[in-house]
Amino acid sequence: MRLGRDGIAGLVCLAVSLALLPHAFGLPRLPIVPIGPGFYPAIVLTFMALTSAVLVLQDLLAQRRLPPPPEAATAEPNQPAPAPTRAYGLVAASFLTIAVYIVLLPLLGFRISTVLFVFVFQIVLERPGSALTLLRQAVVGLGAAAVTYLVFNEYLAVLLPRGSWTGW
Amino acid sequence: MFDLLTSAIINVLQWKYLLPLFMGTLVGVVGGSLPGVTITMTVIVILPFTYGLDPLAGLAAMTGVYVGGSTGGLITCCLLGIPGSPSSIATTFDGFPMARNGQPGRAIWLGVWASVWGGLLGALCLVLVTGPLAAIALEFGPWEYFSLFVLAMAMVAGLTEASLVKGLLSTAIGLLITVIGTDPIASVPRFTFGSEFIGGGFPFLPVLIGIFAFAQIMTDIEKLPQAPETGSVRAQARFEKFSHLKVNWEIFRQPFLLLWATVVGLIIGILPAIGGSASSVMAYDQAKKFSKTPERFGKGHHEGIIASEASNNANVSGSLMTIMAFGIPGDAVTAVMLGAMTIHGIQSGPLFISQQPQLSYGIYAAYILAHPLMLAICWVFMPIMIRVTSVRLAVLAPIVMVLCVLGAYALNNTMQSVYVLLIFGVVGYAMVKVGMPLAPLILGLILGDQIELNLIRAIMTDSDPWLFFTRPISGGLLLAAGLSVVLAIWQHLRHQKRALEEDTDF
Repeated sequence: MRLGRDGIAGLVCLAVSLALLPHAFGLPRLPIVPIGPGFYPAIVLTFMALTSAVLVLQDLLAQRRLPPPPEAATAEPNQPAPAPTRAYGLVAASFLTIAVYIVLLPLLGFRISTVLFVFVFQIVLERPGSALTLLRQAVVGLGAAAVTYLVFNEYLAVLLPRGSWTGW
Repeated sequence: MFDLLTSAIINVLQWKYLLPLFMGTLVGVVGGSLPGVTITMTVIVILPFTYGLDPLAGLAAMTGVYVGGSTGGLITCCLLGIPGSPSSIATTFDGFPMARNGQPGRAIWLGVWASVWGGLLGALCLVLVTGPLAAIALEFGPWEYFSLFVLAMAMVAGLTEASLVKGLLSTAIGLLITVIGTDPIASVPRFTFGSEFIGGGFPFLPVLIGIFAFAQIMTDIEKLPQAPETGSVRAQARFEKFSHLKVNWEIFRQPFLLLWATVVGLIIGILPAIGGSASSVMAYDQAKKFSKTPERFGKGHHEGIIASEASNNANVSGSLMTIMAFGIPGDAVTAVMLGAMTIHGIQSGPLFISQQPQLSYGIYAAYILAHPLMLAICWVFMPIMIRVTSVRLAVLAPIVMVLCVLGAYALNNTMQSVYVLLIFGVVGYAMVKVGMPLAPLILGLILGDQIELNLIRAIMTDSDPWLFFTRPISGGLLLAAGLSVVLAIWQHLRHQKRALEEDTDF
């Protein structure tokens, strides 16, 4: 029995809804309110569990209709592997860069962390081929941080984070 | 009535009113086009400047922000694929693909002109039918609101290309996010597991930005290594030639689409708490259902842009109707406007139009005049805005991310919203990777709280659940919701059958 991505997504949602349902039923009820705080979440979770189950079922039926996978993967070792069509490594690196930026924001402050983030994220996405590109990336980092700081901090009066390490 | 309107327009054309209206519209367009800066935030920013002005001048400035912001959001939608404001969500579905196909100018101007015509048609209704429509909305109780929200979600679940089940599941995820935190009646913590971080629930805006921005940017980054030199493609697109007459012809050759989108926007605008985002998505869904070419939706179809933009600008007039006729804010922006009116000692409500004709017709006039002003602003600044498309993703993505982080942070000046942004960024990207549609999730998020509140109110008023079906309007809305699901299934089956026929027909 094989499961496709729809089936896996459905299973995850089904697991979440089934795990939360007992909590919804277990929420305390107040005597003055005719329906408890768990009433509506229970409806939502039941609906979610049902749609998830249908999705899993649909996927199982769809997988059954599919022809079996070719066994030639090991039979022809000289067959060139298909070229990767998606740069998932780059996506992971991007998520990591953004996560580090968010962690550093309250530590280094908006100005320093934003200059660093914009500069580093550009390098992650596009390796600088020359010193000039590197310089351009640094200028973009500085410019982006300066403009956003001026607009948000000075004009829109948003109190941007100050660094607990730098005080700036 | 029209004498009063004419004299109000002449009155607002004076510099003391025209300048605040122009500045408000300009700030609205800019604010609306910045991802993460909502119209509400823009109108709040401009609010302190209106305190010292004449009441009509202050309200004109805020009306300008509302109109400009409703249109400004489409610029970011088309150029970056991220809604500049929530009311432009549905414009992204077709505006961005059209811009990517080398027609950013056409995409934006279709949206701008549709906004103008939708807004002006909305203005006509604002002036003519405020009274009668308000009377209908007054009939709505919690049963009707609940049923209306169910209808909205059923309709949007039909938006999904692949599967209705996925659309419904996505809606359920959106609804589930809204129940996390304290419950609205007894403040009992739900699904927080003792965590302070989610004790207050997830704020809507960071969730919205996270899901949309990350899904878009990360999907682009995936394709970055093998992508063609997009900079040059976008640079060519910058010089794309198109005719404003042709764009207007595209809008007017389908008058039903424009009219229907306007009506959807108006109705949603009149009803409190639904707002521009829902009207945009609902009008888009309707356009897709009525279209002769529904398969072209999501691939840069002009009908999608027209429906979404005409609807969200007509939505503004609907919200203004509600505030002027009943004194009830239709959304957060009109809530700020109501606050501003109170500061000036003006009581909004059923007697507002008869007791304050100069002010009420002044608001009509400001709303009407904001549209040509918005058009002029877009005309002047568009060449600068289109330049954004020539920037490479490696440069654009970090800047957009900083704006997203700022948009989340500025909501309440805490890092908590930024963490929520990151969490839902991962969720949004994961959902895209498993082929789960995002629009139903967003609608679930928008309507979740209101559905629960109205369900509880209805049951607290009368515990008979059959009232949802036996009250005529509520029953009608639920029937429409059922029909919408049936229609979506039928459309899906028809699509499958057609695809099967194409496969077998060699």
